[in-house]
Amino acid sequence: MKRHVPLWALVLLLGLLGGGAAQAAYDYRLQPRQIAADTWLLEGSTENFAEGNGGNIVNCAFIVTEAGVLVIDSGPSRRYGEALRAAIGEVTEQPVARLLLTHHHPDHVLGNQAFTDVPIAALAGTTELLREQGEAMTENMYRLVGDWMRGTELVLPTETLQPGVFEFGGHRLRLLALSGHTGADLAILDERTGVLFAGDLLFHQRALTTPNSPGLDVWLADLQTLEALPWKLLVPGHGPLAADAAPFVQMRDYLGWLDALLRGAAVRGEDMNEVIRAPIPARFAGISLTRYELIRSVSHLYPRYEAQALRRIDQ
Amino acid sequence: MFRLVCLLCLLLGAPAWAAEIDPQGSPMWQFHRQRLLGTDPVRFDARVVVRAPPFAEDARQVPIEVDARGLGRPVRRMLAWAELNPIPHIFTLQLQSPRLQPFLSVRIRLEQATLIRAAVQTEDGVWRVGSAHVEAAGGGCTAPSVVRAQPGWEERLGQVLGGRYPRGEVDRLRLSVAHPMDNGLVGGIPEFYLERAELHDAGGERLGRLELFPAVSENPTLGFELRGGGRTGLRLRDNNGNEFAAEL
Ligand SMILES: [Zn+2]
Repeated sequence: MKRHVPLWALVLLLGLLGGGAAQAAYDYRLQPRQIAADTWLLEGSTENFAEGNGGNIVNCAFIVTEAGVLVIDSGPSRRYGEALRAAIGEVTEQPVARLLLTHHHPDHVLGNQAFTDVPIAALAGTTELLREQGEAMTENMYRLVGDWMRGTELVLPTETLQPGVFEFGGHRLRLLALSGHTGADLAILDERTGVLFAGDLLFHQRALTTPNSPGLDVWLADLQTLEALPWKLLVPGHGPLAADAAPFVQMRDYLGWLDALLRGAAVRGEDMNEVIRAPIPARFAGISLTRYELIRSVSHLYPRYEAQALRRIDQ
Repeated sequence: MFRLVCLLCLLLGAPAWAAEIDPQGSPMWQFHRQRLLGTDPVRFDARVVVRAPPFAEDARQVPIEVDARGLGRPVRRMLAWAELNPIPHIFTLQLQSPRLQPFLSVRIRLEQATLIRAAVQTEDGVWRVGSAHVEAAGGGCTAPSVVRAQPGWEERLGQVLGGRYPRGEVDRLRLSVAHPMDNGLVGGIPEFYLERAELHDAGGERLGRLELFPAVSENPTLGFELRGGGRTGLRLRDNNGNEFAAEL
């Protein structure tokens, strides 16, 4: 059977479809998953930033309380922030009341534009780092994930968090000011549910990143602090959740290996190009992006190890 | 078409210039080749290895390593440049003793993604060339100085950190010199950089002479390989006439 369709209708139809496709191409399809009472997670992939994922490589979360919704991290772009806000609206009628940022990295804070009507809270050090590095990091994100970033601008926190207990809508939240990943890292333990939002102090099945780390020893000490908390469920900044200590075990193993690799290389007088080619133990095969992150970490950290291994020789 | 013709030349008993087709196909090849290597013959040679990371995590400090030990024959000079840098030339190393191995590691600034080239002149006068490509977001040449932002850097000028690491028959020598290596491209600060490093043994015998250019990063980090033990002396000079000495 043939049917005549007027050309204008076809054009309109194609236009609609095309427009829909273009929008769908930048749809994060965020699907909040309930992980504990009142507690929802938006889990990103363990990939690197790429045009294909729009920078959605990060875990964001929110807690629905009688005092409104508390959001933890805003994601990599304005579009993500808006999608996160919409996804929260699908789950609850409670209004968003506050956004907490775990640290200043772009994949955790560049959705802030969708939350300018509520307090955006962070550690003082996080705001300071955002002031120093935020613009450059935002530019870099445009380079890495392209059009997903359209309209994204840096929004600084409006409130300073102090470590300690933070009561919010019947949830006792323990706020910890740690530093191993960036120098200012917030971890949040919800004492009511036992969920520990570890930010990027915990990576799981995804190689950790070190661009602002004050040192792997500092990071290891932070892990000890976190592991000793009475948590029931771990939410890492990147990678899957865990109800057991697996992410801690993996982090300690990996950080220990990286530290020993850099120390050993410095003692043997290796240059960076040798260190970045070092074999990666088979037990880390399940962790994504280890080689890529090793190349980055050598650039960030190796000069400090070298400086310790070399001695003054000028006369 | 040109490539096809050249390929035919190769197949039909290559004339001398046929070996000079840049395997990387870079439009910058001829320009730098004429400027830096002159009229001496050139061959692309996989035994001249340029090691670099696939991307520059920090465009102000990109580690490169030029290694021509695989040639297994005496080398007169080694030279390296970054094709698309505002200051392309990185270093020229003259090997003055067979004890000094044709090997050098150094960190450099990159302004954008580029090919890094190394040319190694063997005793027959032929330049043998290797390459590596480095991705870079860039800006390494025009980024503000980290050294100058550190209080007291002037007192540390010319301080040398070093280490000597036996590796079988050779010793690895590593050096790090406190110097801003200003390249004249940042904030109106004129060029101020280490331009020469000379290595000699305890008896005064010359081992090698390294010319440096301000494509080299701040606080230059250098690695050499030397056959035979003993003390090695180092004399450094910058373009303002400051001289520094070290021994390891
Ligand atoms: Zn992070």
